[in-house]
Amino acid sequence: MDDTNAIIQYGLNALQLGSFYALIALGYTLVYGVLRLINFAHGDVFMVGAYIAFFVSSFLLSPEGLACGQTTAFVLTLVLTTILTSGVGVTLERVAYRPLRRQGAHRLYVVITALMCGILLENANLALLGASSRTLPDLIHKEVINWGGVTITNLKILIFMAAILVFVLLQTIVMKSRFGMAMRAISWDPFAIPLMGIPVDKIIVFTFVMGSGVAGLGGLLYGMAYVKLENTMGMMMGWKAFIAAVVGGIGDIRGAFLGGLLLGAVEALVPAFLPSSYKDLISFSILIAILCLRPTGIFGVPLTTKI
Amino acid sequence: MLNVEQLYAGYGRIEALHGISFHVKEGEIVTLIGANGAGKSTTLKALMRLKPPEAPVVTSGSIRYRGQSIMDVETHQVVSRLNMTLAPEGRHIFGNLTVMENLKLAAWTRQTADAQNDLEHIFQLFPRLAERAKQRSDTLSGGEQQMLAIGRALMTNCALLLLDEPSMGLAPVLMYEMFRTLKRLNSEGLTIIVVEQNARLALEVADRGYIMDTGEIVAEGPSRDLMDIPEVKAAYLGG
Repeated sequence: MDDTNAIIQYGLNALQLGSFYALIALGYTLVYGVLRLINFAHGDVFMVGAYIAFFVSSFLLSPEGLACGQTTAFVLTLVLTTILTSGVGVTLERVAYRPLRRQGAHRLYVVITALMCGILLENANLALLGASSRTLPDLIHKEVINWGGVTITNLKILIFMAAILVFVLLQTIVMKSRFGMAMRAISWDPFAIPLMGIPVDKIIVFTFVMGSGVAGLGGLLYGMAYVKLENTMGMMMGWKAFIAAVVGGIGDIRGAFLGGLLLGAVEALVPAFLPSSYKDLISFSILIAILCLRPTGIFGVPLTTKI
Repeated sequence: MLNVEQLYAGYGRIEALHGISFHVKEGEIVTLIGANGAGKSTTLKALMRLKPPEAPVVTSGSIRYRGQSIMDVETHQVVSRLNMTLAPEGRHIFGNLTVMENLKLAAWTRQTADAQNDLEHIFQLFPRLAERAKQRSDTLSGGEQQMLAIGRALMTNCALLLLDEPSMGLAPVLMYEMFRTLKRLNSEGLTIIVVEQNARLALEVADRGYIMDTGEIVAEGPSRDLMDIPEVKAAYLGG
């Protein structure tokens, strides 16, 4: 009985970690799905999102600021963080990626640019805010729910619900909406898109708005769950979420979501059986094994050569 | 309707069009014919204001559509505002979308009621597309894909349609059917520029033609006259 409880407890922790990976992986997969671009700055956009959440919530809650109530502050922080982080993503696209695309640059150069943008965001943060880590103020009243020995916090439930909601929303947008249809079409054949009268740039901006907005939301929730914000926090989360997206089948929304949860599960469950220093070793071995069995990821379809 | 004057265009340092001039009048079918590499597709891409690397850079000359220069117009606006579009070589249909989604996507900028009428008209022209509306379009046969490419172009509400090699890869029966359909669309008011390898077929349906060779226009005139020129006969019509 105790063992079962322990496993369930690990499982719940896995869901929380997996939800973060999923939220970030969704952004990778959206941009990749449309532009075939691995947006390596995305993990750092997530980091910027967490910092935006910190500044917005501090301002809203502090007596010198707006001195809002906790609930109002939480809702406003949620909305503002999402919007402002979208702005960061769109700015990167506008300033760094679009000029390269306009000149028909090879994809490699755009990927390298993305990598540099990420490093730039990390170091701009370091230069502006210094090396000390920040802590998000309390935005919700934490409650611990106890189900026969298994405990879960209301925050964990919130995080998992947010991940599911975002997943369903994005999947619906991509599969059912007009914009989603255009996004899928671009990924197949960008050349023919303007011939349909569709402004490609508008669709790309829309994609970055969604991907970065979700990263901002992830940053806020991450700050609420793990307390400490550092300028390098996006790097490892970004890498892992990217790997999760690839294992799920990059370009596929379901793949990003499941890949994220899977990575979270593996990472959280390994310490249940083995020393926790084995965590990354084992979890990445499992991911490599999955890729060996399905090189295109869980939901990925091998690209057929087009004539 | 369309006036092209002294158009020079190229890819990188290689010039592909050496100052071509031609025009298209409202209601005409005009064909550009010539061998591989003559610059026909390049001309169409330049007209659509498509961007490198797929399309050439225009270095000088002018393209006027209904009297207005379109040199500074973006491709998507050429389609949505000027009502001119291209059904490109190789069809470029969105294989990961259904037939219906392909058609709806092409009506991106349009009023729904309007587009709905066009959709019915297209299904009338190409009943096969109606049958396969819910199918992923990469499962269509070559002929059906070409129908979809033309249907999709019509969904943009175009008044001037540019067609690049519509007969490519089609069986002769389908080829004739395709051109009969183009003739019908033309009689309903659509102006057409068609680029073709199959010069005989193209000249049979077109009102006028231009013959291109290595980036220049070497002959022009009503189709009937072009068909009688001995050099044209020898080079493009098989003697």
